[in-house]
Amino acid sequence: MKTLTFLIIVIVSGFLAGLVHSFLNIALVEPYLDNAIGIENQRLFAQGQAQDNPQFWKQFSDYRIWQKQGSIVAGVILGTATGALFGLVFAYSRNALPGQNDVQKALVLAGILWAVLYFIPFLKYPANPPTVGEPDTITFRAITYVAFVALSSLGAFGFSRIYKRLENKKFLAFLGYAIFMSIVFFVMPQNPDPIKVPLELVNGFRMISAVTVTISWITNALILGWLWKKFQPDSVVTRT
Amino acid sequence: MVQTSQITKIQTVPIIAVVALLALFGMGYFMVGFDQGQLFSVVQGHAAYAQMNGVGYLHEMTHDMRHASGFPCH
Repeated sequence: MKTLTFLIIVIVSGFLAGLVHSFLNIALVEPYLDNAIGIENQRLFAQGQAQDNPQFWKQFSDYRIWQKQGSIVAGVILGTATGALFGLVFAYSRNALPGQNDVQKALVLAGILWAVLYFIPFLKYPANPPTVGEPDTITFRAITYVAFVALSSLGAFGFSRIYKRLENKKFLAFLGYAIFMSIVFFVMPQNPDPIKVPLELVNGFRMISAVTVTISWITNALILGWLWKKFQPDSVVTRT
Repeated sequence: MVQTSQITKIQTVPIIAVVALLALFGMGYFMVGFDQGQLFSVVQGHAAYAQMNGVGYLHEMTHDMRHASGFPCH
């Protein structure tokens, strides 16, 4: 394995996928966030915790511009981080993945990781816009979310080992993972926070945020697969 | 003398690459998804948990992406 080539293509593909995610987020998700934060502001005015005056809106506007710039940085950090895991798992599983070429193999693995790390946890703990989450429950929600992602990951790893050992009836590994995750789904506690904003806003936000996360996984797979095919970090030329 | 070239596929990932990528994943995932001031508290102490609007700086900076990526937030 050419270590430096491997690290560069993994990091570059994650970085670019994160950049794509960031700009999709600015274009598609931010309007929902602005709406939700607008509701939060109205509550602050009604409760007397802030005053609806030009000074407030100037500070608020500057703060939101900074947060949106921060979200671009955060998207790149997150994309590079998940891309690092993706590249590592791809290196280990490439030979076992179905597909005619590296791009197809990367897309298959992206689909698996997207489901295990993002979408199945999303079904239990869907994304919420600002104003829905209570500050008092943040630690509890973080622990349950991490626990769910960890159980999903461990389950996928365990059943992937079983998949490799099964010569026939490989579908039993998928069935086993589905049963395991169904149990986890019903055993894990619910998100305790009530939803006090319009459901249209919440559902629209959930749908569009899921679309942007999905596109970022696809982007990562396309770039990693293409770069892998082009640079072949696992190929070493020996001369005799 | 005839020289021949052979392309060998080496699937083993060097341990340094494994450690680097796992560290990158852990740090980035925590930073964007969960940090409430823990990372900066290493140098700033307890003040790091309430730098901006009563919460940590990284929390506020990553706030929008944290919501958009499905992580718990408030």
